[in-house]
Amino acid sequence: MTGTESPTTTAAPPSPADPGPARTGLDALLDLHRTGRLVTEYPRVSDLLAEASAAEITRAGLLLSRLDPAAVLDAHPATRTLSVAVTGHGTLSALTAALTGELARHGVLLRPHPTDFDSWVFELSDPGGALYAAATDLVLCVLDPTVVFDEVPVPWTVADVERVLAAKVELLERLAARFHADGHGTLVLNTLPLPHSWSAQAIDFRSRAELGALWREANARVLRIGATHPSVVVLDLDPLLAEGVPATEARMNVYAKAHLSVELLSGYAREAAHLARNLVGLTRKVLVLDLDNTLWGGVLGDDGIEGIEVGEGYRGEAFTTFQRVVKQLGAQGVLLAAVSKNDPEPVREALREHPRMTLRDADFVRVVANWAPKHDNLTELARSLNLGVDSLVFVDDSPYECGLVRRELPEVAVVRLDGEPALHPARLLADGWFDTRELTAEDQARTSRYRDELDRRDFLDSFGSLDDYLGELGVTVRIAPAARTELARVSQLTLRTNQFNLTTRRLQQPAVEALAADPDALVLAIHSADRFGDNGLVGAIFAHRRDNALHVDNMLLSCRVFARGIEQSALSALLRHARDTGADAVYGTYLAGAKNGKVRDLYPRYGFTAADHDGPGGPDRADAPVDTDTDTADAGRVLTFRHDLADIVPVPGHVALTETFEGEPEQ
Amino acid sequence: MNTLDNLDDFVALVRDELGLPVTVENAGDSFDQLAGWDSVHLLWLLTALERHTGRRISLPDVLEATSLEAVYTLAVSA
Repeated sequence: MTGTESPTTTAAPPSPADPGPARTGLDALLDLHRTGRLVTEYPRVSDLLAEASAAEITRAGLLLSRLDPAAVLDAHPATRTLSVAVTGHGTLSALTAALTGELARHGVLLRPHPTDFDSWVFELSDPGGALYAAATDLVLCVLDPTVVFDEVPVPWTVADVERVLAAKVELLERLAARFHADGHGTLVLNTLPLPHSWSAQAIDFRSRAELGALWREANARVLRIGATHPSVVVLDLDPLLAEGVPATEARMNVYAKAHLSVELLSGYAREAAHLARNLVGLTRKVLVLDLDNTLWGGVLGDDGIEGIEVGEGYRGEAFTTFQRVVKQLGAQGVLLAAVSKNDPEPVREALREHPRMTLRDADFVRVVANWAPKHDNLTELARSLNLGVDSLVFVDDSPYECGLVRRELPEVAVVRLDGEPALHPARLLADGWFDTRELTAEDQARTSRYRDELDRRDFLDSFGSLDDYLGELGVTVRIAPAARTELARVSQLTLRTNQFNLTTRRLQQPAVEALAADPDALVLAIHSADRFGDNGLVGAIFAHRRDNALHVDNMLLSCRVFARGIEQSALSALLRHARDTGADAVYGTYLAGAKNGKVRDLYPRYGFTAADHDGPGGPDRADAPVDTDTDTADAGRVLTFRHDLADIVPVPGHVALTETFEGEPEQ
Repeated sequence: MNTLDNLDDFVALVRDELGLPVTVENAGDSFDQLAGWDSVHLLWLLTALERHTGRRISLPDVLEATSLEAVYTLAVSA
């Protein structure tokens, strides 16, 4: 459908019965604030802020930061939370407000950990201090240019700046190494903006250029700290500044020691929220695109294949630019799908035959062209990919379709485009829906693996029974200690997997590395393949030995490979390994999360029986350096199971299993 | 509204912008008697007042104010 540009924000499709002035989400949120209902109505906040501007989100965040997180959790125990310590140079209250708003927008409640003003060096260098003891999920250490310029003499030379920059970068490298060794969670650093008010003080262009070069070399070193220490993420503020955000506000800088502008801190908060979304398992997986006036100009059904705008002409080139952005996301593991109100045949022909189309049908895991309501198509798409609708990002130029999807499927992230295709890329990229810590080999192969999976379903449909199908599928499973090169993917599995995840315990990469290095712990990687191709590293088991028992801390399996005997094979191998190495029993824990109900009965299905919560030796290591932030506050629903190793479930006949437990991970 | 006609408007703005439960009655209290007060609130308040009135207000004067009512006086006299 063609977009009619409406400047207003609507949460629902336009209704003739409601002609009044459009109210923004912020207006509705202010109403909740004025009437004292922000806590009771907290679950509505994310929807109210879905289309809010950065300034509105910061303003809402200030109000939301007045709420007691404990009161919100009392009223809504299933709310996801993230603990964050904000430290750094100068006054950073704007960041806390902005971060509260940006996280709330994604349904995540901020649990802030206060630090003293300007205490960042002290806090980050003392592993025995309060910041380390707080063990927050994130530590934001926000630095600004006065960290350097406060220490140059008056008058200064470029050589003075060079000297201070070198000392500061070395300090940051030391603090990052300290945090990587002793810290919990993730430390976030940032590049330092170079304000005009400083570079312009050098009046010769040669010195000014040299200052710029030194400054950027220092920022480049800071950016590389993240490559050296996996527990550190460095935010590059230059792209935010390049969009026209001011680095500083002179009065706040001078009078209030707030050295970075509210706008820049809002942008920082948005980036930090993308990282946070990844840490709590909320990264989106599928980009679902409308076609007419989204991927090409015009209406295929009216204009015909030769009439749509793509690849040439002013607007056609704008749509091609957008298609290239989409293709770039697809190449990094984002699954692409199209959902369009069109007849299927012309759409297929356009994607295959149009001479100037950048995106082709092979780029999509699924192209849905029919006349059914889009929310029904989205539900069916998610089901066929074995994902929740909360994995989807839906992009459409039609306010009607966007509003309808937002109303019918509030879990779907909706990106509303308008009639100006040149703005499509910025709209799509504004929210970093797919941002992740690190790409793995798995990400690059994801689209083809999901397409294989759809082929598998067609193959399944040609069989009379599931057993016949599995027999022909040729499933191979390999279980082995995770190699060093696989630890990033294992961490990613804990962050992305919501359904087959027995505890929903999210482990950042350094935590996985620590477990892999622990001689009493097992970090097992599960690989699978079948006649349609390699599935890759699809699962993981975390376990540890204590006394005479093996304790399974968590077990995960990608939703792509459920229900084909892989979990049974892995458990069979693990139980035999425990028995053969002298264990008396194996314990497993299930911790109820928002979406892992389908594995609640996994252990009993394979011969485990319910055990006391604290089975002999304890079902879980309290000292394990793991992130225990789960999807649920319902800590009462912890189930512990015990297997006595007398009768071990066999490997299913249709699976060829290779198992190794003793091999040391590659160093 | 784009004007601050009276103290009631100002108090309503403080409640909406800062989320603090102030009233016309305690707007004259010194900040150290005001529940939940923090000096950084003055920065938010200045930003909100400038956005609201479209006029520049002196930040050093606001930082030296001792009560909300004093800030109101600065805002309407700017």
